[in-house]
Amino acid sequence: MREIKNQIDAYRKELEKATARIKDAESLQELHTLFLGRKKGYVTLLMNAMKFLPPEEKRDAGQIINLFKKDVQDVLDGRQKSIQKSRIISFAADLTLPGRSPYWGAPHPLRLFQNRIESIFQKMGFSIEEGPEIETDFYNFEALNFPPEHPARDDWDTLYLDKDDWLLRTHTSPVQIRVMEKRKPPIRIICPGKVFRKEAPDPTHSPMFYQVEGLIVDHGITFAHLKGTIDFFLRTFFHEKIKVRFRPSFFPFTEPSAEVDISCTVCNQKDDNCRVCGGSGWVEILGAGMVDPQVLKNVNIDPEKYSGFAFGMGIDRTGMFQYQIPDLRYFFDNDLRFIRKFSRQ
Amino acid sequence: MKISVNWLKDHIDLEVDPDGLIDALNNIGLMVGGWEAFEDDIVLDIETYANRPDTLGHRGIAREIAVKFGLPFKELELPLDESSLETADLVDIQILNEDLCPRYTGLVVKGVRIESSPEWLQKRLRSMNLKPVNNVVDVSNYVLFATAQPIHTFDLGKIAGNRIIVRKAGKGESLLALDGSLLELDSEMLVIADESKPVALAGVIGGMDSSVTDSTTDIFIESASFHPGSIRSSAKKIGLQTDASYRFERHTDIAFPPLAAKMAASLLCRFGGKVSKGLLDVYPAPAKTKTVVLRRHRIRGLLGLDVEDGFVVETLESLGFLVEEKQPHIWQLKVPSFRIDIEREADVIEEIARFYGYDKIPTQLPPMEELEPIHDERRNRIESLRQVMFHQGYDEVVNLSFTHPEEESLFHTNRRPVVIRNPISTRASLLRTTLSGGLLQNIAWNRNRGAEGVQLFEMSKTYYRKENDSYGEDETLAFAATGLVGEDHWQGARIKADFFSLKGTCEALMSNLRYAACSFMELEHECFLKGAALSIHYKGQIVGCLGEVNPPVLKYFSIKEKVWLAELNLTRLFAKQPQPFMFSPISRFPSIERDLSIIIDKDVVFQDIREVIDRLSILNLEKYVLVDKFSGKPVPDGKASLSFRFVFRHSSKTLLAEDIDICQKQILAALRSAFKIHLREGESIDK
Ligand SMILES: [Zn+2]
Repeated sequence: MREIKNQIDAYRKELEKATARIKDAESLQELHTLFLGRKKGYVTLLMNAMKFLPPEEKRDAGQIINLFKKDVQDVLDGRQKSIQKSRIISFAADLTLPGRSPYWGAPHPLRLFQNRIESIFQKMGFSIEEGPEIETDFYNFEALNFPPEHPARDDWDTLYLDKDDWLLRTHTSPVQIRVMEKRKPPIRIICPGKVFRKEAPDPTHSPMFYQVEGLIVDHGITFAHLKGTIDFFLRTFFHEKIKVRFRPSFFPFTEPSAEVDISCTVCNQKDDNCRVCGGSGWVEILGAGMVDPQVLKNVNIDPEKYSGFAFGMGIDRTGMFQYQIPDLRYFFDNDLRFIRKFSRQ
Repeated sequence: MKISVNWLKDHIDLEVDPDGLIDALNNIGLMVGGWEAFEDDIVLDIETYANRPDTLGHRGIAREIAVKFGLPFKELELPLDESSLETADLVDIQILNEDLCPRYTGLVVKGVRIESSPEWLQKRLRSMNLKPVNNVVDVSNYVLFATAQPIHTFDLGKIAGNRIIVRKAGKGESLLALDGSLLELDSEMLVIADESKPVALAGVIGGMDSSVTDSTTDIFIESASFHPGSIRSSAKKIGLQTDASYRFERHTDIAFPPLAAKMAASLLCRFGGKVSKGLLDVYPAPAKTKTVVLRRHRIRGLLGLDVEDGFVVETLESLGFLVEEKQPHIWQLKVPSFRIDIEREADVIEEIARFYGYDKIPTQLPPMEELEPIHDERRNRIESLRQVMFHQGYDEVVNLSFTHPEEESLFHTNRRPVVIRNPISTRASLLRTTLSGGLLQNIAWNRNRGAEGVQLFEMSKTYYRKENDSYGEDETLAFAATGLVGEDHWQGARIKADFFSLKGTCEALMSNLRYAACSFMELEHECFLKGAALSIHYKGQIVGCLGEVNPPVLKYFSIKEKVWLAELNLTRLFAKQPQPFMFSPISRFPSIERDLSIIIDKDVVFQDIREVIDRLSILNLEKYVLVDKFSGKPVPDGKASLSFRFVFRHSSKTLLAEDIDICQKQILAALRSAFKIHLREGESIDK
């Protein structure tokens, strides 16, 4: 009995030392075999030794051996758990170190927004048209029904060039005129691009910004089709559940004209003091209308046979609203920290 | 335009809460930008349109609301206390420039007590954010805001000869205006004059000398129509916009001056005045009433829904149109004179849509019966180049298209820049002929904000004045690199941008567009460091350039580190035919590689060697790459060692060593005859 007790004490010391050395599952398994192995494990050896004790001592010896067995079990279980935790780092190399990948450049957010808009309209069968940024008064104003004394034609609103009648386009509508001159209906196009106004840069203005305009001309095109197209676009671009509101407006080149609002996605029409919609619950996003019959006549399309609608929106402004970008000038500062934010958009 | 809700009630029995009113106004296109409570009133701020001058007064807005809610529109009662004196005996009106003043009406009110206005009148002016002055001034402001027709009051006693002459100003004439400023008049400005001098700048501002003062008793009321362009130019020249000029510039109702004069007179009668008999109305060429034909099928054609005839007729009549049904569902309309915006059928259909409600128009997708094939080669290529740039690790930027002479001259683009006649500032007076300036600015900006390495590209237009003086726009791609590339990584140091990283990107772009057969030539240009720049040629034309930016240019942008820059003219490039794309099946047979090292004069450039090899058009040569280049020991002085790896493959058989030997001999022979070369020692070529 005494011998068994001494033996157990020796085993305990050995266990203590050995557990400290355990580094991985393998050495743990070795220790397990050493102590608890069925054939030659220490516990088995103790049990075998117990058989030779007198019957009156057997019971006590059984108890202390079982106690020892349980302790070993506990110690090994504890190690098992801590090894499992650090198992991944237990390989020769640390595979959790950062991986390596080539740097992939980030697109400019305005191009990103533009691509998204283009792809929605392309799904509806629109093709994309572009045109010159340097334009004439005819394409920018006259063909679009702007009266000669219209304020937009003023030196204060339009950037004119050193040759008479030449200017930087103030919208992409000249592209629509150029396409209608060249092609007969059906026409189904969008015209994205840079436009220019005589505006000093500030948080909401820039002398250059991006716009996309669209145009459909065909037999039997109605205001209902305008509503359907814009509604599909806006709900795809923003969110399926936004509300879209059309209200009467005025533009020289469309009749009837509409301003299109969407429900404020910042406050969901719930905040009377919302800084984005001013509490009205609506945000103006787009201008649209049925192409003025005079504009069709200007490009030799018979307004009695054909009708059409047109719309236009600011790409920068829409992006600013969607992402709550506080300053329009961010787009042209080209701070890489800003530009790269959108590559994960 | 400020609109007082209580004021509207002069014309309509409005029984709707403010929210309902604002909604209704928005629905008919009179956008309420905001509103505020004012005493027991509510004042709305309504956005009006340039072509709807009739909505610049309470009367016009009330009419629109009456139509929207189906309410009767009430005219004001204007009782007059008439004297026995004939207006024509008291004052004479003469228009010398009928084109600039198509109508001029006048009335005289005698015996007016000049005093403070009664409270109701003061309150109305206060609600318009105007300060009450005295009853006469207040009445003219009141009429303006009530009707959108500006009127002016003169002290009749100060009108020399009791004559009103509407004429252009004479040379050297001036006018001391009501605001105390002395206006120098020119011969294009329309004035109201008496016998001797101008007494008002027509439609803009009255004169001090003829104005109503506390001692005035007899008042001449002017209610006229002026040519909008003339008023706009006068107001602009003197740099003053008044409530009157704002309205005249936008067109006033030619039919309205008599009623406005009567309204003013009626109010002045409340202050002891007696009105002269018979309105003086000089209206030499009365305007014709516009007529428009409206067809029911066009309403459907434009709006996409049927509107009941009853609604059409009722709406138009309450808007002031005279409606006559000429044939079933075809109406002839007489347009009210205050609607300058309505000329065509489409304009009328808009009125119907506006009051019917845009929200009641259905939402449908347009039918698509035909679809043209889309050939968007240019856009596809541009998009594909962008992807190459991203892949090469370049971030995209967009810079403003403007530049200024100093920066422009820095780049010596040899192009005449496009000049903006009215720039926002001298810093933005030209359109850029190169994208380089923007990129260097962006590099400076980002370096200053801690970026260790910057690689940027921009794809935009550059602009120039052509030989024939017309304007040109070229699609341009420019990119620049400086400092470290990519992110720090624990496995090793980051590489630095250099000439060959930029050139590699150029080559990747050219090969992406199937212009791989381009060539490079040494370039000397002020923009680049000498000996560190190349021009890019394709089919005999320069299509771009690349190189290390010249330090003086960098200094201008306060950049201290080396920068490499490239610019490609895509318009020029896209005009060239790219190499045809052809598919050939992948060979099932193995390739054979041969390495070849030659010693060659150091001066020989790689491109020349490449040309010699390419010109051979070696059969079955799949590709070859330069795998090593070095000079110095053991290579003799003035020589360099180049190692090439050639890969041969046949499409339908396994090549034999003998086949390759022939090719190899061919290559060596060509190189030997073109340059002085020999094979590196210790390497066999005949294995
Ligand atoms: Zn909101």
